[in-house]
Amino acid sequence: MSKPVVHIHNLNLAYQQKPVLQGLCWTINRNDNWLLSGESGTGKTTLAKAIAGLIPTLEGDIQLNFDPSSALPAKVHYVANWYQFKDLEGASNFYYQQRYQSLATAITATVIAELTRFGNDQQLSFDALEQLLTALGFAALKNSALLQLSSGEHKKLQLIKALWSKPQLLILDQPYNGLDKRSRENLNDLLTEVSDNGTQLIIVGNETELPAAINRFAVLKDGKLQEISSPISPKEELEEVIKPLPSFLQQEAPYAVSGSSQVSGSADHIIKMIDVNIRYGDKQVLKNINWEVNAGEKWLLQGHNGSGKSTLLSLISGDHPQAYANNFYLFGNKRGTGESIWEIKERIGLISPELHWYFDASATVWQSIASGFYDSSGLYCSPGSTKHARVDELIQYFGLSAYKNTLMNELPLGKQRLTLLARTIVKKPAILILDEPCQGLDQQQTQHFNRLVDELCKDGTTLIYVGHFESQLPECIEKRILLEDGAVKSVEHLLQSI
Amino acid sequence: MSNYFNTLPLREKLNQLGVCDFMDSSEFLDGVNALKGKKLVIIGCGAQGLNQGLNLRDSGLDVSYTLRKEAIEGKRDSWKNATENNFTVGTYEELVPTADVVINLTPDKQHTAVVNAVMPLMQKGATLLYSHGFNIVEEGMQIRKDLTVIMVAPKCPGSEVRAEYVRGFGVPTLIAVHPENDPQGKGLLQAKAYCVGTGGHKAGVLKSSFVAEVKSDLMGEQTILCGLLQTGSILSFDKMVEKGIDAGYASKLVQYGVEVITEALKQGGITAMMDRLSNVAKIKAFEVSEELKTIMRPLFQKHQDDIMSGEFSRTMMEDWANGDKNLLAWRAATGETAFEKTPAGDVKIGEQEYFDNYTLMVAFVRAGVELAFETMVEAGIKPESAYYESLHETPLIANTIARKKLFEMNRVISDTAEYGCYLFDYACKPLLADFMTRVGTDLVGKNFNAGKDGAVDNRALIAVNEVIRSHQVELVGAELRKAMTAMKSIKTA
Repeated sequence: MSKPVVHIHNLNLAYQQKPVLQGLCWTINRNDNWLLSGESGTGKTTLAKAIAGLIPTLEGDIQLNFDPSSALPAKVHYVANWYQFKDLEGASNFYYQQRYQSLATAITATVIAELTRFGNDQQLSFDALEQLLTALGFAALKNSALLQLSSGEHKKLQLIKALWSKPQLLILDQPYNGLDKRSRENLNDLLTEVSDNGTQLIIVGNETELPAAINRFAVLKDGKLQEISSPISPKEELEEVIKPLPSFLQQEAPYAVSGSSQVSGSADHIIKMIDVNIRYGDKQVLKNINWEVNAGEKWLLQGHNGSGKSTLLSLISGDHPQAYANNFYLFGNKRGTGESIWEIKERIGLISPELHWYFDASATVWQSIASGFYDSSGLYCSPGSTKHARVDELIQYFGLSAYKNTLMNELPLGKQRLTLLARTIVKKPAILILDEPCQGLDQQQTQHFNRLVDELCKDGTTLIYVGHFESQLPECIEKRILLEDGAVKSVEHLLQSI
Repeated sequence: MSNYFNTLPLREKLNQLGVCDFMDSSEFLDGVNALKGKKLVIIGCGAQGLNQGLNLRDSGLDVSYTLRKEAIEGKRDSWKNATENNFTVGTYEELVPTADVVINLTPDKQHTAVVNAVMPLMQKGATLLYSHGFNIVEEGMQIRKDLTVIMVAPKCPGSEVRAEYVRGFGVPTLIAVHPENDPQGKGLLQAKAYCVGTGGHKAGVLKSSFVAEVKSDLMGEQTILCGLLQTGSILSFDKMVEKGIDAGYASKLVQYGVEVITEALKQGGITAMMDRLSNVAKIKAFEVSEELKTIMRPLFQKHQDDIMSGEFSRTMMEDWANGDKNLLAWRAATGETAFEKTPAGDVKIGEQEYFDNYTLMVAFVRAGVELAFETMVEAGIKPESAYYESLHETPLIANTIARKKLFEMNRVISDTAEYGCYLFDYACKPLLADFMTRVGTDLVGKNFNAGKDGAVDNRALIAVNEVIRSHQVELVGAELRKAMTAMKSIKTA
């Protein structure tokens, strides 16, 4: 009779000095692979980190019993919900958009150098690595600098390390964030495989597409852990009344698409790209892109990880230096003819995993939302009373009143994300660019947000939406552009089919 | 060419030294309009050149780069920087004649050659922009009378200029118009528009003069910024090793300590830095720094005097002419110090520990900042200018030491700063020899509070706080920092 792998008794844990788990008990027996779910802020990540020994416990006991007869390393590997990397000097003071700037990326190590360091550190066999890289579609990225990777690619790198090190206990906190459909399936296969070979799994998140190996399900609520029979399905729960939109979002038409200060183009198209190419040295990331977006259209932008989605969007939001070398029009004006990026950003509400990653986390929730009026990361001036009132309304709408003056870096990821979503819409922009907006939210929050997007888009707002989960998209989407390896694979109308 | 400052009558010297106007944000409402549609040609594409250019272009301005023919043909880094970011690049002959504004962002030492090469090519009535006044003030470069000469100097490294712009902020910036070269009276408008183009107007702009900028900049970099940080770091390390503290620990404490300590300085001045110490440690650090001020004041004054008289730049230019003999010898010697050669140990040092175990550096920084500030103000430089060139820049330089110690600091700063730094360091170490014999590990290496009960006399503490808080650098600093809202915090090692 073997001892349980993890035995937790009467555990109390705090998050940012506030108690979050009280008297929690949990026994994880050998061959049990768990899903740990729960709403944002219930303490999922805190519990996972405590099991991994990364944070101290207040009270109570966590016992880990590794199998001495196993060939696998007797350790826990925790895959954080948020990736981190450093430059060659050990600092991580990067800035948003830096990865698009040629030559700026050489300050970080390459993927292969980082993996070599990790493998030597953990004394791993390099024979096993190639297969993993191939399975997650990473082989071609070996010589990329860490700073060049997209958020989905960073997630994969974290997962490759975890799968490669094959610990006895593997805890994955929101492992599917930013992964495309195929990568999610591949990951599930790989996880089942390591599980078959003796690695015990805990997946933290609110997913429903899980590896076959997952056989126990728990939900965290009010500081306690409760076992349930299957993952919570979103549809059953979403019968709550949808709150009415804040009044300013209902009443006011978006900034007019034409006729404002600098931007007086006559065409209907607000984005027009003609044979757009982006390359860094020999590496071409966008190939002959032709794409037109007309005012009021609702687009879905899709493509596998690394297909060039973020790069394409960075051209539109004024964040890519190579915009100046391409033939492309925004709001009817050719890019690079005297407009400033701030005039472009003024019309766009943007959220993306990278915007979140690089966002100034030393600002409060209130300041972060208000910074949406100025398209800045953090707030450098004080908004007037109208703007003030809008921020307050959104804080209430998103249920963030209790965190108004809390610093972003003291909040769990899900709450940070809600804050940034509020920031995205606070100025009621003419164009919404929502690049995986609901990463880190639970399914109910995702549905709520997508309904909000549908409401917002009723009055002529243009939408470009990136989402890897087909089942979690706004209903208003009518067109789709699909990228593959940096080129447009298809453009199509969707007849209310999604 | 003769030293421009020395050609001025005293009245005009004082007049130009005293230009100092912290500009209101309402002065920038016209945005980049004064430069809109104009051709901006930047000479040099290093860190400042590239990042300023990226910002200016993103602000809707027309930017291209001109490089020496050899740099273009050899496809050097400057050429790659510019072309890979899709800028037009051309030789002086190709681009300078088309330019409305020529922006000189080459190293000081090259200014005379560069300006002599481009000036004949510049069109009548164009503008020449500098980011440092050394060439005009110390070398006395004469610029054609039809040309406008302005200065725009972001007070941060080039990468920060870009990072802050992209996040919607900017870095504090100093601007000036050369009174000998403003024939059309457009200099100030263009300098302001340039500030908006690089984002500087969001973080506070100080209107200065070429003279005030040079005389304060040289003073700051030689004394507190580079000189004293170098001296203090080496003496602290050597003292710890002498007293048997583990060399790896000592190396780490010194390498990163100055950055952690001056982060508090950046956020809230000397007051905030001193407040990070316990009450007993604060009183001790205060006493030590008072003693340091007394010992070092004559040296600070000598540096300021030599800068004002032109003696400093004369001897440095002699060394330039001599193939940088002194500079290179001093640089090599710095690379050989025990501190430089001892890698930081693999030990964890907590943020507070850097204050508690390195109280000596807190005392050095207070003494150095206050002395540099006081000496500049006594010499006729206005307090706001003196603040920028002392307290404001100290954390920026400390950051370079944290990255790769003193050798890196000296590599990153200008040759001018480096030369002055060594001058100071060589004079300062003997001056502090006696003082250092009295320094123990309680001040550097071990926790000052260990074994003490922490009790202090109320009145003593109140008196010390009063002196710290009412110093002019604190009053001016509080005002200027208000404009630099939401400064980013560093992530400590």
